[in-house]
Amino acid sequence: MGPMPEQIHPAERLLNLVIALVNTAGRMTKEQIRSSVAGYADATSDDAFERMFERDKDSLRELGIPVLTVAGGGHSDDIGYRIDQEAYALRPVDLTAGELGVLSLAVQFWQDKALRTDAARALTKLRAVGSEPAGTDLVAGLAPRVRPAGDAFGPLLDAVQARQAVTFTYRAANTGEVRERTLEPWRLLARGGGWYVVGRDTDRDAPRSFRLSRVQGRVRTVGEPGAYLIPADVDAAAVLSDRGTESTRVAVLALRPERASALRARAVAGTEPSGTDPWGTDPWGTEEPDASDPRLAAVAADRDVVRVPFTHRSELADEIAGYADAVVVLAPADLRDAVLRRLRAAATLDGPRPAVATPAGGTEALAAGTSTGAGRG
Amino acid sequence: MAERATDRLLRLLGMVTYLDRHAGVPVEQVAEHFGVSTRQVVQDIDTLWVTGTPGYWPHDLIDFDAASLDQGVVRLVESRGMTRPLRLGTREAVALIAALRAMRAAVAPGLDRARAAVLSSALDKLTAATGEAAAAVDVRLAVDGAPDVVAALGEALAGARRLRIRYVTAADVTSEREVDPIRLLTEEDHSYLLAWCHRAADERLFRVDRILAAEVLDVPATAHPVAGHTETFTPSPDDELVTLDLASPVRWIAEQVPVESVEDLPDGGFRVSLRVAEPAWLRHLLLQVGAHVRDVHPPRVAADVAAAARAAIAAYGDLAGEDGPAGEGGAVAPG
Repeated sequence: MGPMPEQIHPAERLLNLVIALVNTAGRMTKEQIRSSVAGYADATSDDAFERMFERDKDSLRELGIPVLTVAGGGHSDDIGYRIDQEAYALRPVDLTAGELGVLSLAVQFWQDKALRTDAARALTKLRAVGSEPAGTDLVAGLAPRVRPAGDAFGPLLDAVQARQAVTFTYRAANTGEVRERTLEPWRLLARGGGWYVVGRDTDRDAPRSFRLSRVQGRVRTVGEPGAYLIPADVDAAAVLSDRGTESTRVAVLALRPERASALRARAVAGTEPSGTDPWGTDPWGTEEPDASDPRLAAVAADRDVVRVPFTHRSELADEIAGYADAVVVLAPADLRDAVLRRLRAAATLDGPRPAVATPAGGTEALAAGTSTGAGRG
Repeated sequence: MAERATDRLLRLLGMVTYLDRHAGVPVEQVAEHFGVSTRQVVQDIDTLWVTGTPGYWPHDLIDFDAASLDQGVVRLVESRGMTRPLRLGTREAVALIAALRAMRAAVAPGLDRARAAVLSSALDKLTAATGEAAAAVDVRLAVDGAPDVVAALGEALAGARRLRIRYVTAADVTSEREVDPIRLLTEEDHSYLLAWCHRAADERLFRVDRILAAEVLDVPATAHPVAGHTETFTPSPDDELVTLDLASPVRWIAEQVPVESVEDLPDGGFRVSLRVAEPAWLRHLLLQVGAHVRDVHPPRVAADVAAAARAAIAAYGDLAGEDGPAGEGGAVAPG
């Protein structure tokens, strides 16, 4: 389909169709549309016209301008069409230049093509009722953005809106297992660099979360729309992470001088050190290291002792392991063990590597200890 | 890329609605308002001029004041009833409202009160106009960085002032530098300050949670041409290519780290290749996920990490106790 100058541009044909169907006294039949609306004369056959008209109706519906079907008084194929302006009108909204500027920024927010298209359309509609051009000075220098959600996002969002179950192939990260899942989707969430869908896994009859980047192939709807209710009190974020139950504690760390500034920046003050209490204590009162333990004293020698609050042990253990010998954990003991586990695993990296796991088993240890991922679907 | 017919249709309809409410608007202002070129506005007006109701006689058509347009001012004289603004579709409303909510939660703390109020009022008006709860999509951006640092960055960006920052790199080296802020990039996992660094005499990207202190200086920020090449971490082809064979539980590495390639292995594991500009960064990563690493190329990288791990264990002295089973623990999915 190449550009043909004598043809009417599709946008112009669509506009003529909208104007005709808004202004028609009652309704227009397909024949009337074909013979009188500018652009449809380009259709060279009945089939071509049908395809063109159906596609145009779909385009308009996608833009939020539904074409209504109106039955005539006569025989059954006497069907007409019109557009009801009342039904698609925006409620009054008066946006200032600054607010429009914020909305422009919201469009840039999405790096995902589908989401950006949706947001850009919304912005065009809102510009029509804005009185001044978008002011950008209010949002100068800000660039909030979210990475693309991938192909699964659109179908899943539509399914959430329609409350319609979906099925898809999913690769579970814990096990590497790939299989079919069926889900009643509730919410889509972006957290910490990933997109997730949360809903009821119908096979397990339990809430589960799935990472969109691990969905393989197409997402297909199953069953009827409106087939389930989204629980009003759903805490999607809690389903996503089973780490929310940990309470805040304080790690007592011994740092090499001048090192781990990022940890130091998050440190909280302890009490003044004293003869009997060389590292001070903190107001949180969590598991103070025993300063009389000669092993602790030896480790802390020539190091700065700081206290860093944390909520997720595995996250802090990752961070501390990354600092290698610059950071030593004095307390709590379970955090120290978690760091040492990571370091011992890394210490074997230059030795013989474990054999590649086979279905017969063999490398069970590789999948062990991954408690933080257990709640993920 | 050619504009889609549907997107153009929306603008054409939007222009009629807008011009119906504003009599006599300069072409340049219409262009600015709709975010297009003046040439595009003229093309759009030419299209509108020939559309209308069937029959397409002069009185059927959308019409503009031709004399006024010759003076560069757009004046709509016949709208053919197309003046109603279009309702937002559900997905459109969701896309805007979810973005605004995430922005309000993450960006507002760095804004002064007046700017934060505009963000809130835009969200409130939009929610009222669409009646859309938009609960289907929930985005949380990183809100990292010390509050006083975030406030200083916001102030410097808004007032175009130079900053003095104390910054610690991924390699754990702390330094002081003066920077001219360009943009604050807020993402789901971290936020970054894109700035002109006077020490490096180049653009640099600073992770906000590694800015230890920030002071707004009484010096205007000078404008620098933004190449934008540092806006995302784009590895250089000169950086060393490292290949990792990893077990499935650390799949997030393939998803969150800019890798050159990902290949699924038959047993659920995977192989990634990545360009490494900063060896300290890779060492940091491998120290965390060692239990899930099956192979590293080149082997020198593995030796470096293992040596660092042994030194770290040695630092624990007697506290390290007996060698426990390797292979437990390890990062799964940073949240």
